[in-house]
Amino acid sequence: MSGARQRLSFDARVRDALADPLLKVAIDRTTGNARAKRAAAMAAWPGFSAARELGRDIKDHVIAHLDHYLVQFERNARSSGAQVHWARSGPEACDIVVAICRKAGARTVTRSKSMLGEEIGLPHALQEAAIERVETDLAEHIIQLAGDPPSHIIWPALHKTREQVAELFHAHHHDPGTLDSIEAMVASARRELRGRFLAADVGISGANFLIADTGAVCTVTNEGNAELTTTPPRVHIVTAGIEKLVPSCAHAMAMLRLLVRSATGAELTQYTTFHCGPKRPGDLDGPAEFHIVLVDGGRTRMLAEGLAEMLRCIRCGACLNHCVVYRQIGGHAYGAVYPGPMGSVLTPMLDGLPQSKDLPRACTLNGQCQEVCPVAIPLPTLLRGWRDRIWSTGLESVTVRQGFAVWRFLALHPALYRQASAMAVWMMAWFARGGWIARMPLAGGWTRYRDMPRPPRRTFIAQYRRRMPRP
Amino acid sequence: MSDARSTILSAIRAALDRRRGGPAMADESSIAAEAAHLRTRADATRPDRLTGGAENAFLERLVSPAVAATAERVASLRDFPAAVRRYLTAQGLASSVALQPHPDLFALDWSGIQTHGQIGIDEPVAVGLALGAIAETGTLVFHSGPTSPTLFAFFPTHHIVAVETGRIWNWLEDYADAVAGCAQPRNVNLITGASGTTDIEGTLVRGAHGPGWLHVVLFASAAPSPDRSVGSDAGHFASLDNLK
Repeated sequence: MSGARQRLSFDARVRDALADPLLKVAIDRTTGNARAKRAAAMAAWPGFSAARELGRDIKDHVIAHLDHYLVQFERNARSSGAQVHWARSGPEACDIVVAICRKAGARTVTRSKSMLGEEIGLPHALQEAAIERVETDLAEHIIQLAGDPPSHIIWPALHKTREQVAELFHAHHHDPGTLDSIEAMVASARRELRGRFLAADVGISGANFLIADTGAVCTVTNEGNAELTTTPPRVHIVTAGIEKLVPSCAHAMAMLRLLVRSATGAELTQYTTFHCGPKRPGDLDGPAEFHIVLVDGGRTRMLAEGLAEMLRCIRCGACLNHCVVYRQIGGHAYGAVYPGPMGSVLTPMLDGLPQSKDLPRACTLNGQCQEVCPVAIPLPTLLRGWRDRIWSTGLESVTVRQGFAVWRFLALHPALYRQASAMAVWMMAWFARGGWIARMPLAGGWTRYRDMPRPPRRTFIAQYRRRMPRP
Repeated sequence: MSDARSTILSAIRAALDRRRGGPAMADESSIAAEAAHLRTRADATRPDRLTGGAENAFLERLVSPAVAATAERVASLRDFPAAVRRYLTAQGLASSVALQPHPDLFALDWSGIQTHGQIGIDEPVAVGLALGAIAETGTLVFHSGPTSPTLFAFFPTHHIVAVETGRIWNWLEDYADAVAGCAQPRNVNLITGASGTTDIEGTLVRGAHGPGWLHVVLFASAAPSPDRSVGSDAGHFASLDNLK
């Protein structure tokens, strides 16, 4: 997204998103596919609810002993030959990565999709350092060509229809061919990126899990681009959030069952790889240097400030696909790295509440996100927590505060409340045509996009009184 | 960066102490006991599909639409070259393959097929030997090493892989348990079907960056011998004898 769009208000970004007819088509195609596949995978897995409780408990166990597991992971990674770095913030992490690249004399780096990389601003930092970045995940490749940020944490190019992807490839690829099918587009990207894998000086990946008892880093991909990114170059750098730990490989397996089904509906990704240290003596491929950058970036604050449950998140994206708000506005309208329900919990912590106070309110609290979350994060409760904080720190707008003051006054005076609601119901009936209200003063925000059902002629209390037998 | 390290660790300890109501950090053995209990809880949550035995479950999963590999059985590893020849003919491919530098593969009779030990990024066909397989998910297991370079599984368009019946673990955790405590290779690659992507409109397309085709040749184990190991992988995994 251009900086210009980023600077628009949340309301303006939402208006733009809702006015874009292609965006709705693109969102519906991918999230619809994702919901159907996840539902089928869960239907075929009777153990899901017990597995979900287990996933939650594994993550809670790690978080409760995070210091222990971090130290254990560091020790084992070092003894496998990895170099472990610690970064308090995103900029500090980027400085470490850029310094490693410079020391390696890197002109080109390949990168395998990592949301943490986006979170810490790594693409920008590499550009500032004049190091060419080649995104190798197909979706990341698409949005790199388009100059867009990701709009979904699993499908970063979800906002692009196949027709738009074909246009991009036609304009940018050296040998695009016909591009008349999705297969042809995938083949064109394969041809385009093939040589880049071998030409890179450094490969950068994220981590889906950090295995404490071996010091290994687990990545999952379907394309195979992670291994092609992390194997040929002389240097492999991993950037990982400190919450990615699991005690052992066996625990990672239990988490993988949840992650992959929740993300794509498959039982296991095509490529599930554990990277441990640099290449061994006698190995015919693999990097000579292996660096792991452990990033805090607000996670210790989440632990201290009541958001420990959010540290369970394994970035599967199911909450996005099931969110009625995300499915209308897409990822870019959120104006942050992480969109959807999980993003609306994370962004106020990462970017600050004043800048992101609209996000916790962009939620109907219908609870679907919590229902599908594979680690049972109480997302609606956490979002309500942010709303409380918005109120208690005085970030709420004057209009809303006054509105609530009026409502509070009425709620404390029941007789007045009943009179006011009876009057409102009576007035609304005026605007109704055939059972629906298409337009009404003060309700434009609702009626611009859908009609409102006409309310009953009398309030609930009035009806109740009429129907109750008199004593 | 030791400064960042101590800042992060003390911030974690301060936050955890507040949650625990005091600096009473659990001792290592109680943390390990808790982790072990969590590990055992996984068993009851696994999808039940092993009733027909590990071999059948593995093959069934492997050729299911979700994994979409192809597979065949042969009597022994000696029959692997013939299976490769059949595959090349059926697919209309040239008789030239990159052969994973594994002594058990080198020992076979490859007459009629040109083999080479180096692999190029646009290699049409690579032929390999997996360390083992996992029935639950139809997954092949590779450990990188001098006889098993990682890129053999990622460069070719067609990947033909032999795997031994006696080396199929039932569940993902069984593999993890089998290698627990062993020295780790640089890469453990769990491979479940050919490369694919759903990045354009969520539609699955095969052959994204890795192979577009995966063919598995399941061969029966030779008569069991107690100290059998997986070629030169033995150094890494001497304790893999009891696979199941």
